[in-house]
Amino acid sequence: MSSRTPGAPGPRSSRSASEAARRATEQAAQRRRDRNRLVLLVAVLVVALVGGGLGLQAWRTGRSPSAVPASSYADAPQPLAEGQPVRFGDASAPVELTVYEDFHCPHCADFADEFGPTLDAARDAGRLRLTVWPMSFIDEGSDRAAAALGCATEAGFGERYHHGLFANAQLQWSQEQLLELGRLSTDVVPDGFTSCVQGQQKAGWADSVDAAAEAAGVTGTPTLFLDGAPLPLEGLTPESLQSMIEAKG
Amino acid sequence: MIARAPVPTRFSRAAPWISTLVRWVLAGIFLAAGGLKAVDPQSSVAAVRAYQLLPARLETVIGWGLPFVEIALGLLLAAGAFTRIAGAASALLLVVFILAVLSAAARGLSIDCGCFGGGGTVAAGQTDYGGEVVRDSLLLLLALWLLWQPRSRLALEPGPHERRELEDNQ
Repeated sequence: MSSRTPGAPGPRSSRSASEAARRATEQAAQRRRDRNRLVLLVAVLVVALVGGGLGLQAWRTGRSPSAVPASSYADAPQPLAEGQPVRFGDASAPVELTVYEDFHCPHCADFADEFGPTLDAARDAGRLRLTVWPMSFIDEGSDRAAAALGCATEAGFGERYHHGLFANAQLQWSQEQLLELGRLSTDVVPDGFTSCVQGQQKAGWADSVDAAAEAAGVTGTPTLFLDGAPLPLEGLTPESLQSMIEAKG
Repeated sequence: MIARAPVPTRFSRAAPWISTLVRWVLAGIFLAAGGLKAVDPQSSVAAVRAYQLLPARLETVIGWGLPFVEIALGLLLAAGAFTRIAGAASALLLVVFILAVLSAAARGLSIDCGCFGGGGTVAAGQTDYGGEVVRDSLLLLLALWLLWQPRSRLALEPGPHERRELEDNQ
């Protein structure tokens, strides 16, 4: 691309050539500076996005639980036995749905969300009783939540607490969050509940539930049985479950 | 010095458009995967935990942070900024995903990859390691294409035309 005319190498053209070279160097330097600034800007944005995301999730899992969903609960204090489940609903109801679940299992929260109203309605109609095995194999939060359900059940508001645990499935279930959920579940929190949660008094019972579930061959959650027969979740809808319950009861 | 203008071939004309398409496909997938996981941090951590590869504290950080890394990558790819770096980061991430799924399969775990939310343990017959590896491998090919042909159309970065003009003006 050199366009110097042969035979005319005057001082003027060499000056303009060096001028052009200087300008080109300046332009290149400017481009480099612009690019460096852009790199820095994008790096800051990426770090801010990821850092902000971490902060957001820490807040979402660490905040206080929100209200327990409204439903008609007929709770009464229920003593627990080692290796035995929690039971909700009228003991004389003709149909039994057995649920193995973990309070930090995403599909269990989805199940509670999707099928909860159907199950509540069948329980209210006196057709269904629930047998709940709160397993705790996902993390420490599952452990604490399962034990706290044991405390709430003995204190007489187990079913409300159970609904609240799944309605707030995002939370990590620290002891403080579990106590707060108790305050949201019932007007007057029995002293027994607070000391039970703080002293982790039902941790042994939660372990015994895990052992019993393992002995029953349950390997994942949610696992369902309808009147003792395995009920696959695949393809199950609230409507189909409702008609199964009605056909039996 | 004689500047040799590259002779435009059918390939050199098509490649920047292919790169644009590749960017947008990868961007869409990363944004979807990141977004679906970001809405449910507890599931995201549970999905990471199901691989049983990391200490608990790190599982939490990955479960919370990875979705936002994916979103950031998706945004860079969609905009066409630092395409080669974004392509390299995507390739690295996909290699890690593939290795993690293969390791889960090799250890006989029964888990869902949790790639697009969900995840965790599934029933023994419900795994789809083959499909997950094939999908991630195809995406890895796309990411490698961007490493090879990072210049694209409709990008924040200078495309082939602007770049050539810049070079000619020097």
